Amino acid sequence: MSLNVARTRPAYPVPAEPTPSAPDRRPLSLVAPAPQHRTRPRIAYAVVATAGVVAIVVAQLLLSVGISQGAYELSTLQSDQVELGRTTESVSEDLVRVSSPQSLAANAESLGMVSNSSPVYLRLSDGAVLGAPASATGSQAGAASLVPNSLLTDAAVLTQAQAASLSAAEGGAASIAVTPTQAVPIRNGLPSPTTR
Amino acid sequence: MPRKTGQSRTRPSTSSRRRVFVTVTVLFAIVSVFVVKLVDIQVVRADALTADSVGNRSVGQTVYGSRGEIVDANGVVLAGTVMRYDITVSPKNSTTFTRANDSGETGPAGRDTVTVPEAAAELGAITGQTGAEIEAIIAGALDENPESDFAYLTRGVDVDALRAINELSIPWLYPRSNPSRVYPNGAVAGNMVGFVSSEGDAQAGLELGENSCLASVDGVETYEKGADGVRIPASSVTVEQAVDGGDIVTTIDSDLNWFVQQALAEQAQATGAAWGTVVVQEVKTGKLVAVADYPSVDPNNVGGSEADDRGSRAFTASFEPGSTFKALTAASVLDSGRATMATGVVAPYRYLPANGANITDSHAHGDDRLTMTGVLIDSSNTGMSKFGEMLTDEQRFDYMTKFGVGSATETGFPAEDPGILHAWQDWDNQTEYATMFGQGLTTTALQIASIYQTIANDGVRMPVQLVEGCRQADGTMTDRPDETGRQVLSATAAGDTSDVLEMVYENSWVHSQWQIPGYRVAAKTGTAQMPDGNGGYSSGYLVSVSGFAPADDPEYVVSVSLADPVNMNTSAAPAPIFQKVMSQVLKKYRAVPSGAPAPDLPATW
Repeated sequence: MSLNVARTRPAYPVPAEPTPSAPDRRPLSLVAPAPQHRTRPRIAYAVVATAGVVAIVVAQLLLSVGISQGAYELSTLQSDQVELGRTTESVSEDLVRVSSPQSLAANAESLGMVSNSSPVYLRLSDGAVLGAPASATGSQAGAASLVPNSLLTDAAVLTQAQAASLSAAEGGAASIAVTPTQAVPIRNGLPSPTTR
Repeated sequence: MPRKTGQSRTRPSTSSRRRVFVTVTVLFAIVSVFVVKLVDIQVVRADALTADSVGNRSVGQTVYGSRGEIVDANGVVLAGTVMRYDITVSPKNSTTFTRANDSGETGPAGRDTVTVPEAAAELGAITGQTGAEIEAIIAGALDENPESDFAYLTRGVDVDALRAINELSIPWLYPRSNPSRVYPNGAVAGNMVGFVSSEGDAQAGLELGENSCLASVDGVETYEKGADGVRIPASSVTVEQAVDGGDIVTTIDSDLNWFVQQALAEQAQATGAAWGTVVVQEVKTGKLVAVADYPSVDPNNVGGSEADDRGSRAFTASFEPGSTFKALTAASVLDSGRATMATGVVAPYRYLPANGANITDSHAHGDDRLTMTGVLIDSSNTGMSKFGEMLTDEQRFDYMTKFGVGSATETGFPAEDPGILHAWQDWDNQTEYATMFGQGLTTTALQIASIYQTIANDGVRMPVQLVEGCRQADGTMTDRPDETGRQVLSATAAGDTSDVLEMVYENSWVHSQWQIPGYRVAAKTGTAQMPDGNGGYSSGYLVSVSGFAPADDPEYVVSVSLADPVNMNTSAAPAPIFQKVMSQVLKKYRAVPSGAPAPDLPATW
């Protein structure tokens, strides 16, 4: 039994054991060199490779030039931005300065305006007058501003003559602008915006 | 290549083997030196060297964070940050130079030669200096150090001046950015807003008190630039972001504040007062809408004011309030229920209580039979003493404390004066009575306004509020103060006190001075001696008026104080200011004129 099992051919192939004295060893021989014409490089490959390299170099160059150009443009624009920012700042500073109460009061007074200290109200519902009406007695101070503002030392105060010429100029412009709007007829009372 | 075996016929001689050995050794040595050097540069010192090389090519630039603005309740800027420029000079390089002229020619014909005096004169015309002054600065710097490379010519010029200076093309000038503070409204609320030093350090007022909100952090931006100064694209840039400060939103109305300051200054000058304050407070919220000081400081020009005038006395100067304080005593007595408005006392000229105090009135009179209303109309010290006696010292002290006397208000203003209120156990005989009519203790104008606010607001004291909060860059408001009120008096007692004060307003001897047609007003005058600073009293008086309107539905408290008005030493001095300010306040905020007539309370019995 055991012999039978041992002699049974295995189901998988077993590599043949090399025989120590294999008589059929092949003789070594030099590999014949490949024929010369087969190793010669094709010119097309070289052209493609060189062209590729050149293309990459050129693209790289153009890209660099473009970026540098952009850098200069950026630099110019940035300095423009800084300059414009400075202008904005300077102009808005002027605006805030002339909107200060001292400047407004000085201008109002030079235009002949006076402040009335006794408040009176007209109630629209029944037309009642609330408060005790009295005419304005004079301007707030009638004197120089007692609340200093050193920013206003060189600010010019609008005089009545200037104001007259200004309003004349504006009036001329306004009359042109107003004329066409008068053509719009008002039918049902005052127009009011509709909100939905 | 396989080595030849020992049988090779080309066996090298001893000398040639030595040569090979030496060559190889030298080669190894050289290679090792390179390797060591390479490792040293590439690994050991890599960071330092990289930093060095970047440092050579790159420039660092400060990115200025913007200090926050201080704005009023309507968003008007009271303090803002602007960029100013310091003009610096390199004295050692200050020499004659050439610059292109207008001829448009190239070569020497197109260039003018400019000497230092010429350049200095041109520069001075822009900066407001004389050429000689500028030359003196340069010469001075060179005297100190012949190699001097830096000196300030002028500081804080604006953009227009900077552009004009750049037009001059003077090569040895170096403008530097210097973020500065500007106060567009000048002295409007200037004492309160405060100011910063030329180095940008907060010095006074809200600038100092709210510095933690306003302060900004400067950043740095580093990039590489080419020889022509243009930034190298994609060069390494390190940025430390600048952080802008938050804005302080105050409860002040700048227009009203201007009006109040103007009215105060006018009357203070007319009466020769040493100083004065006006506080306008909203009754229902406790918000300060105007705080005026005289003399006022223009934060743009701090040097133009005396050092003592640079703070806000409304917050920092306490004084004995005098008769305006009687309203508090009356309110306390009414609240305790010990007396009513109609309760009568006999008010003599001189009253000598059992404890040994000695109380007199300001003018001689007989024994007047006065009601509480009458006592306040006549402002009788003796009458008030008899009402004050109805409460114990401890009770009165408690009321005072609840009204905010003796402790700084909630505004958080720097160096605010809490006033002096000694513990009731420490009161001597005279102080026990003096505290009933506003002597023997001190208050600020703000505390007096707060007392009247409490009476006007049905007995609810609102925290005094100057700042709405700190508005961050994203618009959120932080650091909002507490806005919860505290009931100090019963609403009835507060209403009764208000009625009494209205009678005072109607029947006062200064009525013609403070009358506001159409409105019911409640107000009280005060005249108190001022301390001389050595424990005694000076001959000067602090005259004041405090009150609120409209009395039937109080909306605003106005408290006026004038110190030592030498030309008019009575409460007739502050009364016109009260009238003007209160009229303006009522007009500005559209308070509806009172309909019902004022109550008529008996002053005598």
